[in-house]
Amino acid sequence: MTRYDRLQTTFCGVKFENPVMLSSSPVSNTGEMVGRAFDAGFGGVVFKTIGVGREKIVHPGPRMAGYDYHSDRLVGLQNVEQISDRPMADNMADLSYLKKNWPEKVVVSSIMGFTKDEWRDLAKASEDVGADMLELNFSCPHMTVEGSGMKVSHAQALVGEFTAEVKKVTGLPVLAKLTPNITDITETARYAAEGGADGLTAINTVMAISGVGLDDYTPRPNVAGKGAMSGYSGPAVKPIGLRCVAQLAQADSLGLPVSGCGGIETWIDAAEYLLLGAGTLQITTGVIHYGYRIVEDILEGLDFFLAERGLHGLDQVVGKALPNLVPTDQFDLSSQGVADYDLDRCVGCGQCHIVCQDAGGQCLTWDDADRRPVMHEERCLGCMICSFVCPVATPPMITYRVVPGKPEILPPPSV
Amino acid sequence: MKPALTMNQAMAEAARCLLCHDAPCAAGCPASTAPDVFIRKLRFRNLKGAAKVIKERNVMGGVCAVVCPTCSLCAAGCTAAGLDEPIDIGALQRFIVEHAWEMGFSPLSAGKPNGLKVAIVGSGPAGLSCAAELARAGYQAMVFERLSAPGGMLRHAIPDHRLSPAFLERELEDIRALGVRFRLETAIRTQQDLDSLREQGFGAVFLATGAWRCATLDLPGRPREGVTDALTFLMGAKERPKELRHELAGKDVLVVGGGDTAMDAAVTASLAGARDVFILYRRSFAQMPGSPEEKTLAMDAGVHFMILTQPVGFETRGDRVTGLRVVRTRLGEPDSGGRRRPLPISGTEHSLPADLVVEAIGLSPDTSIREIRSLRTDEAGRIQVTAGQRAAADLPVFAGGDAVRGASVVAKAVCDGKAAAAAIRKELGR
Ligand SMILES: Cc1cc2nc3c(=O)[nH]c(=O)nc-3n(C[C@H](O)[C@H](O)[C@H](O)COP(=O)(O)OP(=O)(O)OC[C@H]3O[C@@H](n4cnc5c(N)ncnc54)[C@H](O)[C@@H]3O)c2cc1C
Ligand SMILES: Cc1cc2nc3c(=O)[nH]c(=O)nc-3n(C[C@H](O)[C@H](O)[C@H](O)COP(=O)(O)O)c2cc1C
Repeated sequence: MTRYDRLQTTFCGVKFENPVMLSSSPVSNTGEMVGRAFDAGFGGVVFKTIGVGREKIVHPGPRMAGYDYHSDRLVGLQNVEQISDRPMADNMADLSYLKKNWPEKVVVSSIMGFTKDEWRDLAKASEDVGADMLELNFSCPHMTVEGSGMKVSHAQALVGEFTAEVKKVTGLPVLAKLTPNITDITETARYAAEGGADGLTAINTVMAISGVGLDDYTPRPNVAGKGAMSGYSGPAVKPIGLRCVAQLAQADSLGLPVSGCGGIETWIDAAEYLLLGAGTLQITTGVIHYGYRIVEDILEGLDFFLAERGLHGLDQVVGKALPNLVPTDQFDLSSQGVADYDLDRCVGCGQCHIVCQDAGGQCLTWDDADRRPVMHEERCLGCMICSFVCPVATPPMITYRVVPGKPEILPPPSV
Repeated sequence: MKPALTMNQAMAEAARCLLCHDAPCAAGCPASTAPDVFIRKLRFRNLKGAAKVIKERNVMGGVCAVVCPTCSLCAAGCTAAGLDEPIDIGALQRFIVEHAWEMGFSPLSAGKPNGLKVAIVGSGPAGLSCAAELARAGYQAMVFERLSAPGGMLRHAIPDHRLSPAFLERELEDIRALGVRFRLETAIRTQQDLDSLREQGFGAVFLATGAWRCATLDLPGRPREGVTDALTFLMGAKERPKELRHELAGKDVLVVGGGDTAMDAAVTASLAGARDVFILYRRSFAQMPGSPEEKTLAMDAGVHFMILTQPVGFETRGDRVTGLRVVRTRLGEPDSGGRRRPLPISGTEHSLPADLVVEAIGLSPDTSIREIRSLRTDEAGRIQVTAGQRAAADLPVFAGGDAVRGASVVAKAVCDGKAAAAAIRKELGR
């Protein structure tokens, strides 16, 4: 297994050989599984969320439903899985097994208590078996146990109380895993910070309904004839994950490191999370789709990305896009442009013409004889929807060109 | 037949379609099957709508999907070729049609009976499409077919490995469901036959008798045994496949010609277990009129291509063929058709031994129909028509398909059948 010096990092005081972890989920369900993930290259794991086992945990069947877009499989994934259904002792034994056999890898114990006592017990037990960090699950959106998971985040003060409870009994760094299913994620984060959290993880799954059966009128996944609003993950939620991570990283009074999660599959996704302020990364759905092997290309791709730019470490990447992330009222509205067509490369499908007519500024006409669009730049809004549908995309045939002093284009009233 | 696409494969192929503003595929389909529309419907998961478009526009939509030479028709102008490969329109069309069959969805229905009867002569794609169109408009469509099973070339000539009889039968079921009726083993040839149809109350007649006359090698000493024309060979192969296997086991076959019929005959011989199968063609490979798909099928079947080779005589023992005398050729100046003419190279004459020689050098309409008064035919036997497929000025007689065009393709036969149906409806006022 290749080691990438450039990718070593320290997060909440813990050394990582690389920043890519399994997030807490079925991909990190047992010691044996995680061992193979470590061998494949993952730098750490957030183990499947552990409870004390006082309430019997039963996973609904089936527990997941895939969301496809045309012929692309698993663009999103919905699940109603609960926290670990295994005995607490077995999970703790697995954490200890992992630390013993892969001492250089970071083992984070994800825990969820239903009372303050339980939170403390879980924290203590995790520390005793050698976990490097704790992650407090305040964010599972579909717990069958009343008042747990995401419900804790909704009763915001509890986030602070449970975090403080945990901090009382352990010296380990503590991450609070947050839900995006809330108006302002930085508010929950503030409670966690007040409770003493050392870092934040975002995001857990997004509350969603991935589909409805047209034969049975049952939302997916169909659990014995019923569906439930529940956690949605994978590439479809990456934009929400990026937004949440950036919000947390930009909230200057917080000042807590963030572990980014949601829809990471490639090194490009990973780089985006890093640039928006994530210090480490977590993955579930990418592994559910492709297996642990995806880490190989994430690491190698990130390493090339750094090398190409002459960067020596992740600290030269993390958060570097944040200065360019502004509220929209800070845009320079005087800069305007048009779509620029390299017609030599046009294949003549006319999709640009259709969308410009029906959703743009009607600046393209169609030359029937040549089968090519004809641009009337004086009507181009520069909205660029044509470039989104153009099949000649690598490199794009339609690009944005800034036109200094471009006059305002306002369609006249229809007659 | 090739394996059909799965739903996922079909969706992936449909996703490659550029959904053109002015789809060249639509303009390239002689039967107006509207590939641009049905692919878009598939893309947006409206599979029933897609099947409806295909079947409403082309009752032979299933068969066409399987046998159309798409690369010279719909796919010829496909814009996606500018990026990578043209869309596999035939495969998508077949997927949609078969999916509708599996779902039990029949988009077509018979029209309200209008009491009018039309006679259709010939049950090939031209006749079938005319009959189905009329039945949908409420006519009683009766198809007269001289052979014992309907379908024309589709049933009797196109080999099973390209179009399975079960697939054709399923498409015929859709047509029968419209109330189209068949009178088999009934030829309509003479003026008398035609008069009798009128007496039976048929208000119009559509002649779609195809092109079933095979050209034969114009060489001296043609023996009686071991030489056959391609249609006879292909019909035999479909009717008596076991006997053919028995006859061809370990035998060598020479197929003369370079069109699709030659390819079909050669592949059929090869699949039936012949030892060596040769295609003899006097021009170059590129000049062969056979479609790229069919040439590839032949090469994959291990057929040997003897290009620039021209037969000059038969070799015989008694009444049986033992081979062909051939010469090598080279290409000279273009002939009147614009193709470079093959010129024999002197001193290259030699023999090619064979147990069977199959002549696949051209098909033309059969002349028997010419007995019908007021029909005009050209020197190639093709029935002459005016606008609306009208074949006689004084009688409501129409014609289309290969009988009018000479050997052509299914999609064009369908097109003629539809045009004739429209003209007949106009003529009869419903
Ligand atoms: C070997 C072969 C392979 C081919 N492959 C393809 C292909 O892959 N793709 C493609 O598009 N095209 C192909 N074709 C061409 C295609 O089959 C024809 O163009 C098409 O079938 C013509 O349709 P039609 O209805 O005009 O005539 P036909 O299909 O020939 O049907 C005419 C019907 O009329 C009947 N008939 C004739 N005379 C009378 C009469 N006097 N009374 C009653 N009935 C009569 C005949 O028995 C026949 O059933 C192929 C042709 C051949 C020979
Ligand atoms: C089947 C499934 C089970 C999950 N279980 C847990 C869990 O027990 N604890 C937890 O904190 N997050 C859980 N998650 C959330 C993931 O850890 C992760 O936050 C989320 O899926 C977004 O990342 P992704 O897009 O890479 O999957 C689960 C996700 C899935 C799909």
